[in-house]
Amino acid sequence: MSEVAKAAARPLMENAQSRRPLGLLLVAIPVFLMIWLVVWPAINAISRTIWRPDVDGNVGFDLSSYAFFFSDRYSLDNLAITLWTTLVCAILLLVICLPIALYLRFSRSRLSGYVQALAILPMFVPSIILAFAFIRVLGPNGMVDILFNAVGLPKIRTPYLTPWGPVIGLVWDNIPLTVLILLSGLGSVANQSIEAARDVGANALRVFRHIILPRISNSILVALSFSVLGIFSSFTLPYLLGPASPEMLGPFMQRTLREVQDPIGAMTQAVIAFGFCIVFGLFYVRSVARNQGK
Amino acid sequence: MSVLHIADVTKTFSGGTNAVDSFSLDVADGELVCLLGPSGSGKSTLLRMVGGFEQPNSGRITIDGEEVTHLPPERRPTGMVFQSHALWTHMNVFKNLAFGLKLRRMPAAQIREKVEAVLELVGLAGYGDRMTTQLSGGQQQRVALARSLVLEPKILLLDEPFASLDQHLRERLREEVRDIQQRLKITTLFVTHGQDEALSMADRIVVMANGKTEQIDRPDVVYRDPKTPFVAGFIGTMNLIEGEVSNGIFVRSALTVPLPIADGPATLAIRPEALDLSASDIPKASVHRVTDYGSHGLVDLDLADGTRVKSMVAHPDMLRAGQGVDLLPRAFAAYRNNQQIYRS
Repeated sequence: MSEVAKAAARPLMENAQSRRPLGLLLVAIPVFLMIWLVVWPAINAISRTIWRPDVDGNVGFDLSSYAFFFSDRYSLDNLAITLWTTLVCAILLLVICLPIALYLRFSRSRLSGYVQALAILPMFVPSIILAFAFIRVLGPNGMVDILFNAVGLPKIRTPYLTPWGPVIGLVWDNIPLTVLILLSGLGSVANQSIEAARDVGANALRVFRHIILPRISNSILVALSFSVLGIFSSFTLPYLLGPASPEMLGPFMQRTLREVQDPIGAMTQAVIAFGFCIVFGLFYVRSVARNQGK
Repeated sequence: MSVLHIADVTKTFSGGTNAVDSFSLDVADGELVCLLGPSGSGKSTLLRMVGGFEQPNSGRITIDGEEVTHLPPERRPTGMVFQSHALWTHMNVFKNLAFGLKLRRMPAAQIREKVEAVLELVGLAGYGDRMTTQLSGGQQQRVALARSLVLEPKILLLDEPFASLDQHLRERLREEVRDIQQRLKITTLFVTHGQDEALSMADRIVVMANGKTEQIDRPDVVYRDPKTPFVAGFIGTMNLIEGEVSNGIFVRSALTVPLPIADGPATLAIRPEALDLSASDIPKASVHRVTDYGSHGLVDLDLADGTRVKSMVAHPDMLRAGQGVDLLPRAFAAYRNNQQIYRS
């Protein structure tokens, strides 16, 4: 075979067989990191909380740490406040972010550019700075109190160190991601399909209910799942803004480990939190798969 | 009797451009009027103003004697078919059609009856359970048409409905739409930039340019007697030759045509089929290219100064590139100051 013929016989792109090792290598790095940093600690934590030594040092199956968690009033209160905060944040995020995303998608005014910038701003503010700003503004003797005092009004009942403190902080912190995900979902709703709905007699509310909402249900699900997973396992804002008792699972775990010095108890709380997040995650995966199958 | 009355409507977008400029039109009951013009001529903006999707800056729009100028789309007796079909992909065909009827709180049995009747009308009987994504482009456009027809609008608005379809399907659908329109006797405003569509479907054509009316006439009149050089150049193929008239003779290069008008500049408009060629010892043009279409031939000719003109001939095989020929216009019109001033 001549040189030209050899060259011609070579494919323009390397075939799948020859690219396989490179592809596997690229995938292997994140898979390895995930196994090392997520899967292994999870398996390790689960096994260490259910295979425990007894008083004689014999290792055996033992669910006493879980039994304690689910029978301890304080632990259950902490779980309840975590679930309550997560639920309230999810509802508030939807109520706040959906109108913002709808406005940004359909507004033709120049103002929408500024609204978008404001909505994205929290993404660039670290949680610790947000918590500090919150305390300086809404905390005791904060800016609001000072302004109220200046006009002769009484002090506000500050949400600082109440369950509403973390709610306000977490909602503010999660607005950018939620708005961006909803906005990307709304991008798939064509103007003409909305105009067609108006043309057959639908008012704005019905257009939203029957045309927009079914088209962005997937995006709502993605946005809420991401927020819920983040909020459920959040630490900084509940630690800095929330009450000492009951407390969210993040600060509870930290305190159980550092102050109570009960690593098995902290690990049990982590496994329970992980279990809830897996349930949220599975619900999300199932819903996305079902929507894609439609 | 006029069903749609558009009076002196102007639409100015931000930036100060007049998309539609003092436009007036009356559309009779059951008439199909085509708005024809190049991109940016304002035809779609005008249609959207009739549908309620754009608000005019001035002027009035009335439908059946009732002013609708500032009514939202959902309160107008119009039905619009969009270029992109704009079907709701999360609903099946039946639900797409039934949505508007449900909003009108019609009983379920009546909705089913009406939807099935309209699906039958557009040739999609039995397709109610299909998702719209399972349909071909032509079928989707029929669903879009059916969705408007099922609500029995007083005015049907079609915004370049066949633009996204292939040529063959486009020709078939425009015949079907015309048949349905005539059967239902529904007043229709049709936007297109395809002159074939306008000439084959319309009762009247409104030729638009820069937001203004250039001519409103029957298709045959628009083709045979264009009132402005723009219409002459836009509808069909037309030789528009700039020249000077002196002592009743139009002159451009070696081309001379008797033209009984006052001296001065003029534009001569000759259709290729009205420009005969003959052999001559003193040729006025030379053949540049001959294209044989089977049924006829199209000859590109160059005048001595390089001006290109076209002639339609029955026997293209008798001509060859570089051959000198005489030009004999059989029918022509002349324009000056954007107005027709002579027609042979």
